[in-house]
This record gives sequence, C-alpha cells and structure tokens, in this order.
Amino acid sequence: MNHIHFFRRFMTANLLLIHTFSFAQEQVSGKVEDINHKPLVGATVQILGTTEGTVTNTDGIFSILIEKDDKLVLSFVGYQNDTIAPVFGQTKHYKLIESNIQLGDIVVEAESSSLDEFDAKHTELILESELLKAACCNLSESFETNASVDVSFSDAVSGAKVIRLLGLDGRYVQINRENIPLVRGLSGRYGLGFIPGTWIQSIDLGKGAGTVVNGYESMVGQINLEFKKPENSEKLYVNAYANSFGRFELNTNFATDLNEKWSTVLLAHGDYFDFELDRNDDGFMDLPRSRQINIFNKYKYQGDKFVSQIGYNVLRDEKAGGQNGFDFGSDHLSSEFYGFSNNTTRIEVFGKTGLLFPHKPYKGWGLIYSGSYQKIESGFGRRLYEGEETTFYGNLIFQNIIGNSFHQYKTGASILYDDFDEVFQNSSFNRQEIVPGAYFEYSYLPGEQFSLTAGSRVDYHNLFGTYFTPRIHARYQIKPGVNVRLSGGRGYRTPNAITENIPFLISSREFIVQEELEPEVSWNTGGSLATFVKIGQKKVNLVFDYFYTYFENQMVVDQDASSDAIFISNLNGDSYAHSFQLESSYDITERLKAKAAYKYYDVRTTLAGELRRVPYISRDRLFFNLEYATKFEKWKADATVQWFGRKRLPNTSDKPEIFQQDGFSPDFVLVNAQISRGFRWGNIYLGSENLLNFKQDNPIIDAENPFGENFDASIVWGPVPGRLVYVGLRYKIKRQ
Amino acid sequence: MKVINTLAFALITLSIQAQEGKINRVEIQTSAVCEMCKDRIEYDLAFEKGIKFADLNLENKILTVEYKTGKTSVETIKKRIAKIGYTADEIHRIPISYENLPACCKDGAHDDEGHHEEQH
Repeated sequence: MNHIHFFRRFMTANLLLIHTFSFAQEQVSGKVEDINHKPLVGATVQILGTTEGTVTNTDGIFSILIEKDDKLVLSFVGYQNDTIAPVFGQTKHYKLIESNIQLGDIVVEAESSSLDEFDAKHTELILESELLKAACCNLSESFETNASVDVSFSDAVSGAKVIRLLGLDGRYVQINRENIPLVRGLSGRYGLGFIPGTWIQSIDLGKGAGTVVNGYESMVGQINLEFKKPENSEKLYVNAYANSFGRFELNTNFATDLNEKWSTVLLAHGDYFDFELDRNDDGFMDLPRSRQINIFNKYKYQGDKFVSQIGYNVLRDEKAGGQNGFDFGSDHLSSEFYGFSNNTTRIEVFGKTGLLFPHKPYKGWGLIYSGSYQKIESGFGRRLYEGEETTFYGNLIFQNIIGNSFHQYKTGASILYDDFDEVFQNSSFNRQEIVPGAYFEYSYLPGEQFSLTAGSRVDYHNLFGTYFTPRIHARYQIKPGVNVRLSGGRGYRTPNAITENIPFLISSREFIVQEELEPEVSWNTGGSLATFVKIGQKKVNLVFDYFYTYFENQMVVDQDASSDAIFISNLNGDSYAHSFQLESSYDITERLKAKAAYKYYDVRTTLAGELRRVPYISRDRLFFNLEYATKFEKWKADATVQWFGRKRLPNTSDKPEIFQQDGFSPDFVLVNAQISRGFRWGNIYLGSENLLNFKQDNPIIDAENPFGENFDASIVWGPVPGRLVYVGLRYKIKRQ
Repeated sequence: MKVINTLAFALITLSIQAQEGKINRVEIQTSAVCEMCKDRIEYDLAFEKGIKFADLNLENKILTVEYKTGKTSVETIKKRIAKIGYTADEIHRIPISYENLPACCKDGAHDDEGHHEEQH
C-alpha cells in the first residue's frame, strides 16, 4: 500500500513538473544527418549545460522542449559534436561531420561491434568492418567472430551451420530484414544460408525478448539485418571468393540514383561447389555439392511527404551430398548411394511505405508488407520430403509523442497468413495459419540517464487461440558509460516438426511425431551490466549479462530414448535455459584491439519424465579475438580462438558395442584467422577457418551401411571438414 | 659561380635520388579546409606507392609527407594531391576533382561557421 501511495505521489509530482515546465518551454525539432543527408539514428541531443536531452528516432529526427535561449549539443559516435541554436517552428536539418572517416565508407576508428549505449534493449550493433572478418559466406558465418552467437555444424552430411543464442536454438531468435520477418517457417533451419554476407550493411543483435512491433516470435532475441541501401551503397561492389575445398563465390552489388527521388540497389550472389570432399575417408562427402543463385533488388523513393521502398528476392539453392557418387539430380529411391538433397526455390516481394509529417517529425505512419512463396524438396536416403509455404505479412504502424518527445509510442495492427503443404514419406500435412494482431508500445525517453520501453500485443491465431505478448525493457545509467538493463517478455512460435529436425532424418532412426504439436511458448527475463574499468589511461569495457528462458511449451526432440527412433512431442514438464556471459574488450594500442568472453549455459529439458541437459551444448565456452589494423586499414589482420567445453551426447547404449558413443564429447579449440591488404579500389584477403585442422573422428556411425539399422549422421558435436583456406578480392567503386 | 651552384645542386639532387629506399621528408602547402579534407588526403596517400607517412596540419594546411626516394618523387606526390582536388604548392588542383569534393571541402565552406545550419 505504502509503495503504491508513494508511486502515486511521485507520478503526480512528475506530471506537475512537466506541466509547469511547459509554460516556459517550447517544442523544437530537427533532423540530424551526415554530410550525405543520411539520417543519424540515435544521435544524442542534449541541452547545453544540463543533463537533459533526447535521442533522434529512426529517421534521424528529434524533438525536445527547451527554453528560448537554450542551445543544443548534437553528438553521435564517430562524429564531431556540434552546438546549435535551434530555430523554433521549423524542422531544420543539421549535419554532423564524421570525426575519423575516410570517404563515407567504413568508420575506421569507431568500434566495429559495440553495445548501443542508450537503447533500453540490450542491443549489440555489428558493423560491416566486423562482418568482413568472416569473409565467407553467409549470415550464419557472419557470427563466427561474435561472442554472443554460437555457430556450429548441424550434422555430418548437410553442411548446414546453425546458430544458437542464450544457449537455445536459432529458431527462437526472430530474424528480420529491415523489420520484415525473414528466416522463418520452412526455411527457419537453412534460411541463414540464403543471406550472403556481402549483402549486409549492419546487424542489430538484441538479446532477450524483442520489441512487440515486429510480432510475437522473438523468444530469446532479435536479429535485424540492414541490407545495402539504394541511397548510399557503393556504385559497384564485387566480392570474389575461392577456397581450398573448391568452392567459388561471386557477389556483385550495384547501387545508383535513378533521379532526384528514386534510387535502387541490385545484389546478386552465385556460388558453386561440385567436389566429392571426403577427407575422413568414410565414404561420405564432408560437405554436400552445392550451387546457388540469389538475386535481391530494391527501389527507394524519397519524397518530402513520404518514403517508399519496394523490392523482390529470388533464390534457387541446390545441395546434393551423402555418399560419394550421389550427384545433383540423382534419384533417391533408385540410387545405390545414400543421398542427401535439399533444393529450395524462394520468391519474395516486399515493401515499406512511410508517411511523414514534415512539421511534426516525431509523427508518422508506416506500412510494411511482404509476400513470399517457397518450395523445398529434400531427400534423406530413401526418405523424401516436399514442402510448400505461402506467406503474407502486413504491419501498419503509427508513431507519435504524448505531449513531448520524452513520451513516445508506437501502435498498430498486423496480419500474418501462412499456408503450409508438406508431404513426408507419403503422408501429407497441411496447415493454414491466419493471425491478426494489434499492439501498443510506449517509450519513456527522458535522456541519457534512463529509458524505458513497455509494450504488449494481442494476436488471435485461428488454430491456437489468443496470444498475449507483454514485453518490457528498462535502462538506467549509473554514470556515463555504465548502464544497467532489465528486460522481460513472452514469445510464441509454431514449430515445424520436419524441417526443424532435418539433421535427425539423416540416420536410420524412425521419425515419430507423437502428438499434435502445440505452439512453443516461452518467457524470457534477464539483465545486463555494461561498465568499464580503467587500466592507466585506457578503458577495459566489460559487459555481464544473464538471461533465463522458461518454456511453457516446447517442441521436445528426444534422441535419448532409443537409438532407433527420434521422438517429437510437446513439453511435459520443465524446460529452461540459464545463460551467463562476460565479455570484455580492450584496445591494447590504437591499432591492436582485443576481445575476450566467457559463457556459461545451463540448458535443460524434460525428456521422458526426466529433466536432462539438452545435448550438443557446451556448458562452458571461451572466446578470444585479436585485431590489428594499420592506418586506413591498409593492412588488417585478425584471429579468433574459441574453446568449447565438452557437450552431452545422446544415449547410444542400445547400439551394438562398436557403435556406442561416449556420453560426452571431448572439449576442443577452433581458430580462425584472416589477413587483408587494402588498396584504393578495395582489398584482397587470405584466411583460414579451423586453422588447427580439428575434426570430429567418425562423425557418422556405421557409415559403411547407410541403409542398415545403425547408421546415424546426426550425432555431431564438432567440425566435420577440417582446415579451410580461402582467398578473395573485394573491388569497390564509390558513389559520388 | 651561379653555374657551379646550379651544378652542385643538381648533383646533390641526383645523388639523393640514386640512394634507393632513402626516406625523405617534405612539407607541402595545400588548399585543404576541413577535417574531411585531411582524411581524404591522408587516406589517399596511404595507398600511394612509396609513401610511408602523411599528416596534414589543418591550422596552416601544411602536409608533411615521408616517402621513399627511389619509389616516388615530390612531383608525383603533388600531382596526386592535385588529382584528389587540392592545390599542392605550385601544382594547381584538377578542376574536375575539386568539383566532385563534398560541399564542406570547398573554398569558403567554413567562413561563416554556418555549416551546422545549412539548409536542406
């Protein structure tokens, strides 16, 4: 009671305060941009001589209450501060000049991966210079130099890499491309391989429950990808890559202004790998043959009243692996070889339209939409799978302020239509999801000291009923550079029993879905402390974070009950993940930077009535990264060393003795390294993944009899192919 | 006397040039105006053959360059600066390069300190 009373009094006092202020103060707004008119998002706007301030929104726009003679200090990481005398009654554009920059390309001196200081959510920003450290090939590998995301092989045959965040499968992470949900549904498992690394300009990685604006599917985190932009990408960017396995890749990006208002970007990717790579001589290819054509094209219109974007993405990806001799187009049923194939065709059309109010920059309407069709044809030995998915997504967003820019909100409505047609081993499964929803998200942004975002959404799912998704994020600044964050929220997703368990199909196990699967539902809570300690003149940045995910329901995969089958069911009991991470970064010299991290995971789920550790997860993991660059990155080198603690492996005690596995994998070390030489036109690079050539011995159980009862390629805890050496070239022609 | 002086100077110059790999230091007066110009010039020269070091002092617009005498010459460096869009001592900037510079790097862009209230 006392607390409530105090809270009320506090609130009343606060409201009065704002009220009295508003007599003397006046609203002023402006837009902060760089010299190329690109809006600076999250730039700090502070009233000179005070600690009051705000930050710019996603369009670089701020509005703030100030007194007549107040001056504002504009600042942004990597840019020179500027003090301005704002003009009332109009939205002026203010340009900030980059402080350590060369030619509008890569910010050399800014940290390439860092925590967004003022965001209420725990969000790491990964810039292009960080992405370049992993030269190959697609989004999953982009995280190999990041401490928060784990990347590993999913099985011994498909060559697919999967990610984990907070100890949980990547399917619980919502992946968006510029706020359009992307890697989901049937491509949830392999979709990361359909996003070439060179298409990405930057990545926002949010840990914990994400914003409600983008839906209910971000259960443990949110990854938002910013692709190369029509308005400011290089005119031409070519990345050619070849590696010692015999894989070739070519990425070509074009961007140009069509006229004053229209601009376009065309991203084209092709890769080709057609060798029987069998370094462990088990008769199986360590990586499947693969080829991919992937085209992305987007147009942007920038007017005074509205901004609009429209684009499409077309993809064809083919993989053929398994026993040596199995080729593209081989027939699974008649082939003498055990084959693996996975062919995906995907077409997507998407767009965004934003309606602006030039005199009220804080106000706006936005419409985001996409429609896609994808078809997946797969084979695993004699088992065949075919799936088709048609998706439509629409999200209408309205944003505005309440009184002043300290109080902002976003509200809107969304619709998801998802139609699945799947055929597996001659049984067909159809599912049609129609999910209308509405949401409201309020942000209190009084300045650098504190920020709070609280939102919730209600969706009505035609098959599973009402989803209620509350989320909250708060940040408090103890002192500059030291922030505490807390977050909590609920998330939902519909599991896809077959495509999300493809690794287990590459075995002699019978695939048994024991019951009708319910949606996966989880609560995630956690927090972080970002701080620093000083060693002499230099700062060591430290980030501690802890997150706890608890499942109300989950698709549980039981590989332990029998080595002859894989059982898939709803959760019956507890399932949770504790995740703790300590990350530190330190600039040893201006040119030499070091990062180190320790992670601890405790991930358990109830399998056949017993709470057990989830297999394939290292409880402990260490990560080190060292980066050296000469001025203007003429020479650049980096190395990542990771230690993975032992992982629990599924029970194989019911197999004949020669095929039994230990209960735990050994621990192991992986090293990646790369060196590049810059030129005016771009750079050339040479690097290696798995430099120490560490390989899992006998990743496939009974590889000699793939059609026999003991065959199993799904028990994979380490790298299957060994050392990889690659070379490549990046050529750029800059935009004027 | 004058002839001898000229000859001696030419000889010294030649002997310096003959010493492959010797590092020479030169100061060049440029027409740079802002931080952006400084980065533009230093970035470009970092990738120029034979140049070991380049630093522009914005207060007096003097660029200090260290270069390997066998690999490049003062003349080549000045021409390169002209190509970036800036006058280097007696070598006048190339007009088309100058035209392509961003607004803040042009003459007079900072005279009124008004760059932060530039109109859109």
